[in-house]
Amino acid sequence: MTVSEQTVDLQPPTEQEVLTEITAMLAAVLEEYGLDDAEVTMESRFTEDLELESIDLVTLAGQLQDRWGDRINFAEFLAGMELDEIIGLTVGRLVRHVVDRLQSAGRS
Amino acid sequence: MAFLDLDGLRCHVQRLGPQDGRPPAATVVLLHGLLTDSLASYYFTLAPALAAAGLDVLMYDHRGHGRTARPPAGYRLEHFVDDLEALLDRLEITGPVQLVGNSFGGTVAFGLAARRPAQVAGILAIESEPASRAWAVKLDGILRKAERHLAEEETLAWVAEQRGRHTARLARSAGALLAGTSLARDIPASLLPAEAELRAIRCPVLAVYGTESDLAPQAAWLDGLLADCRSTFVPGQEHSVLIEAPETVRALTLSWLREHGARLRGGAARREVERSVR
Repeated sequence: MTVSEQTVDLQPPTEQEVLTEITAMLAAVLEEYGLDDAEVTMESRFTEDLELESIDLVTLAGQLQDRWGDRINFAEFLAGMELDEIIGLTVGRLVRHVVDRLQSAGRS
Repeated sequence: MAFLDLDGLRCHVQRLGPQDGRPPAATVVLLHGLLTDSLASYYFTLAPALAAAGLDVLMYDHRGHGRTARPPAGYRLEHFVDDLEALLDRLEITGPVQLVGNSFGGTVAFGLAARRPAQVAGILAIESEPASRAWAVKLDGILRKAERHLAEEETLAWVAEQRGRHTARLARSAGALLAGTSLARDIPASLLPAEAELRAIRCPVLAVYGTESDLAPQAAWLDGLLADCRSTFVPGQEHSVLIEAPETVRALTLSWLREHGARLRGGAARREVERSVR
């Protein structure tokens, strides 16, 4: 695989940086429900705490891909999980997945 | 791709394709069900596996559902079939496509097969049936009940307690759809295909039922009605087969498509089947 320019970040981002970016993406989704003041932490669960519907996660998947390209495939990440696991999924687990993927993409 | 204008309807569309750069083995359109459903039911279950197997996977939210626009009126079955036709035309998909329909999504699939037989290569209908007089009467009952109860806070609280907050959230959205549109009145007033039109559907059909579902006893009727239909039953499941048994549905879909000539990539289909029967 060739590494195209858009996939090269000089430094892979830290957990805190990824959390900040994902929080901004979630704010855009939550705003539509008038919930834009919801606090997002690593422990927040997408459905139980932030009250996102599954279709909102599709929107988030698109935002992740717009930001980091094919390195982040949210659908594949979730496809490996049971429904209960998806419902209990925390923001932190996604943040760590993104950081891991960007780090391994940086090494390859 | 995210939004397409279909004759004035802003439609949310997602399309996944093979990542290996080779042309897709076939196009599969995934059709979701009514009220609490959206393309998300496929996006996180069936779609990634189909794309990985080399298929062009097209999903969209029906009118009023998910991220697609919610016009106040126009929810008869024929409007949903119009949207599917408009989407295929808009994307210039002219060859026959495989349709996968969950519940009402399958009813839309049969609607397209009756209207444009040359465009449908096959149908995998999950917990579904073609529109009929009996279907319209049943849906009328279900939708009236849903419209009445999903507006009640105590019902939503009960759903949250019994089924969790996510299901309650979906139920609240469904209540808003029913309260804000004529869907509950429109669906039972749909233009129903004549039995002769259904008998004229020649494409292969695989009907998937949960053994515990109310629909399962209809399997023999549908097998007899359609020219080329067989049924399969998922043990222990009720109506929510797609959501509750995603691995089984993945395996069934991949082997169904392979059986009907789609040259799937890798050992994906075989592995899935082995996993499901283990």
